[in-house]
Amino acid sequence: MATAPQNLYKADLRDVMFVLFEQFKLGELLGKEPYEAWGSEEVRMVINECYRFCCEVLGPVNALGDTQGCTIENGQAKVPPCFKTAHAQLYEAGWKAVGVSPHFDGQGAPKAVYMAVEEFITGANTSLSMYPGLAHGAAELIETFGTEEQKARYCHKIFHGTWGGTMCLTEPEAGSDVGAARSKAFKNPDGTYRIEGTKLFISSGDSDMVENVIHLVLARIDGAAAGTKGLSLFIVPKLRIKEDGSCGEPNDVVLAGLEHKMGIKGSTTALLNFGENGQCIGELVGGVEHEGMKQMFMMMNGARIFVGIQGLANASSAYLNALTFCRDRKQGSSIDNFKDPNAPRVPIIQHPDVRRMLLDMKSRVEGIRALAIKLSMHQDLARVASDEKAKDHHQGQVDLLTPIVKAYGTDEAYRVCVTAMQAMGGAGYISDYGVEQYCRDSRIFTIYEGTNHIQAMDLVGRKLSQRKGANFQELVGDIAKFVAKHKEHPRLGAPVQLLAKAQETIAATAMLLFKWSQSGKLKYVDLHANRFLEMMGATTVAWLLLEAALIAEEALQNVQNDHPDRFFYEGKIQAARFFAHNNLPLVPALGAMMQTDDDSAMAIPEEAFSTI
Amino acid sequence: MKILVPLKRVADPDNANKVKVPADGSKVETTGLEWKPNPFDEYAVEAALRLTENGAQNKVRAGEVVVVTLGPKECETTLRAMLATGADRAIRIEADDDQLDGNVVALALKAIVDKEKPDFVLMGKQAVDGDTNQVGQFLAEYLGWPMATAAATIVEEAGALHVGREVDGGVINLKVKAPGLVTVDLRITAPTSVYSSQTKRDFKYNDGVRFAPLPAIMKAKKKPLDVLKLGDLVADTSLRVIYKKFEPPQGRKAGVKVKDVAELVDKLKNEAKVI
Repeated sequence: MATAPQNLYKADLRDVMFVLFEQFKLGELLGKEPYEAWGSEEVRMVINECYRFCCEVLGPVNALGDTQGCTIENGQAKVPPCFKTAHAQLYEAGWKAVGVSPHFDGQGAPKAVYMAVEEFITGANTSLSMYPGLAHGAAELIETFGTEEQKARYCHKIFHGTWGGTMCLTEPEAGSDVGAARSKAFKNPDGTYRIEGTKLFISSGDSDMVENVIHLVLARIDGAAAGTKGLSLFIVPKLRIKEDGSCGEPNDVVLAGLEHKMGIKGSTTALLNFGENGQCIGELVGGVEHEGMKQMFMMMNGARIFVGIQGLANASSAYLNALTFCRDRKQGSSIDNFKDPNAPRVPIIQHPDVRRMLLDMKSRVEGIRALAIKLSMHQDLARVASDEKAKDHHQGQVDLLTPIVKAYGTDEAYRVCVTAMQAMGGAGYISDYGVEQYCRDSRIFTIYEGTNHIQAMDLVGRKLSQRKGANFQELVGDIAKFVAKHKEHPRLGAPVQLLAKAQETIAATAMLLFKWSQSGKLKYVDLHANRFLEMMGATTVAWLLLEAALIAEEALQNVQNDHPDRFFYEGKIQAARFFAHNNLPLVPALGAMMQTDDDSAMAIPEEAFSTI
Repeated sequence: MKILVPLKRVADPDNANKVKVPADGSKVETTGLEWKPNPFDEYAVEAALRLTENGAQNKVRAGEVVVVTLGPKECETTLRAMLATGADRAIRIEADDDQLDGNVVALALKAIVDKEKPDFVLMGKQAVDGDTNQVGQFLAEYLGWPMATAAATIVEEAGALHVGREVDGGVINLKVKAPGLVTVDLRITAPTSVYSSQTKRDFKYNDGVRFAPLPAIMKAKKKPLDVLKLGDLVADTSLRVIYKKFEPPQGRKAGVKVKDVAELVDKLKNEAKVI
């Protein structure tokens, strides 16, 4: 078992820098409001130093945390003991304050830089990164919606790791159907609320690395409407906060259990009982009732993007570990000498099928990275935009791309992890090489934070029609412009023409989805939503990879023959060609499947699924 | 206490296979190489920082660390990284790599020491590219300063450095009075290797070179970085070491199988001449 504290995490910093600076022109945002403290040198140093930190501190306790797991002692969760020092060092070094606003002693980095840093933190140790990840989201929510008093009381301590944070939505009877929540809140005479209810599957729900855990709990105020509209959001600390801001007596939040699960075993997944003894006190976020779902959506959207990054990070390291293995492992002879038993043995990277798997992984990983950073660039551009129109455009793209980054990103990430295992054969399946853990850890990404079907329904049900469909039309329009400009390109014209067909398909299929919605054929929308998200994901990723390939081709003109960048740029071009040729033809095929009136999944009687 | 730490950037030792020698053997090809600070120099910076602070959870600076390097503009990346790690000031001496040998570097550093008047110079025992292990010794000689090389431990007491050097069979303890020069070895970054006079003796550092914390990275640009010209510092910049030709080391020859112990002993004795 891989318990020796060695680091297996790897990331491709050259590609991160390419995406940030060469593809998305981060440099144009730096050095001026509100990023005046950030120059390209700071970004480069932050990327290098954070990566080194993650490899030397977080990575070595990834497999160890997986074997140690989490336990409960006297009602208190115990995280893997090896996490404690690493967690403390993470905050000491300031890596969780990259994206925090200077008002709370953070560095106010562009989101794109924050995302790049998060890739390393979560990739080096997914389980450990869950605690600061959730805490950060909770603090951001309080920063956005909290009263001045709440911000002063909670934000600084959560942002800097003294306290943890959670999001408590799920209940035994309310999973994807959040509106079914039964947790209740009763107003006390002093304006606080008495909270009662049970929350399930709460990530980082308890931890002995922090002094207190600040839960954000969705509950229904006594007498409020049913469904999501009647939900309010409460700040419910594990330990009550005294007047001077220090932690006081327990707040009747009971840790009733921890789940045993397939992966992220170092992350607590808690069952929490609030107010078993009628002593649990919460305060309303921002002091406003029935706004809970809207407030929570801010944290959920951030978390959805974060989950996409988790997928990217695991997939990237799985790919790079498989690559190292395939360069090293000798097995079989070259396919050209297959008849000669005495032919020299070759590293398996020389076998065509292994190369196919490696390039498949490379193109997906780099495609998801480009997609995630594209989204965060839109976040930054929305922030700095001077006119409303530009702001709306960029915010619209953020809204549209969020479910795609989450669902497409994590579906593909899991496939990459599994492909890495396949390329490594038996070595991938045993624990020693780390890929086995990436497969287990990354399986949850397609499930939590809204299953990938919930994401698909968010995309087709909400995001496509947002701003009267403008978000979608602007994205498709950008792709169409790109196609028009490059379809005759000598080297990349053929893949660009494949992109053209895919782009036409998604535009036409969006109309079909709209028609189904209008004519009451909602079951078809639900049946095909995942498929449509996959088509949009593949098309958008292909576009970004081809854009990168064109940039790489131009850059190649100025690179000397023996410069390592030569290989880097050549790799970008081949990855884009591969992705386009091996994925884009599927988009029209998937579109054609949507055109049939296949209703077998609905027509089949439930008894007919099996007669046992 | 004021400490000067000379630094050299070297081709990333983790990517040593990217270092290439062109067919004519005239030089080592440096385009496209990734650079890193010489690891031993990084250890010297770490030791210098430990000597100028009060080793405690919230470290308080009690002195100044100045880093200096010779090289082209790109070397400033290395200096900035050290400023982010905690050094207070930086100096770059503008020079091309082919203008330098150990002697010229030592002469330039002597000029800097004369200007800066540090209490101590701390530096790596050698650079991992050329591995000459000369500059520290040259510099101490030119300055007429006491010197201890390859330090594994340093304890400051009353302004003097008590240096432990690990040698075959034990440890040699030397006392170096200010102003003096110490070159450091790998073990100087162990948790209990370096104590300033203000650091409690039960304090343990994290093993290895410290990380640059994020706020310090953001402030590194605001720390002073002076640029000087080699010609203004050294009158005679003629090289004493001329590189005639580079060639990669010969590939290893295949081993042989011996049939018994007797043959092995015979080969070790008569062929390898090691016993």
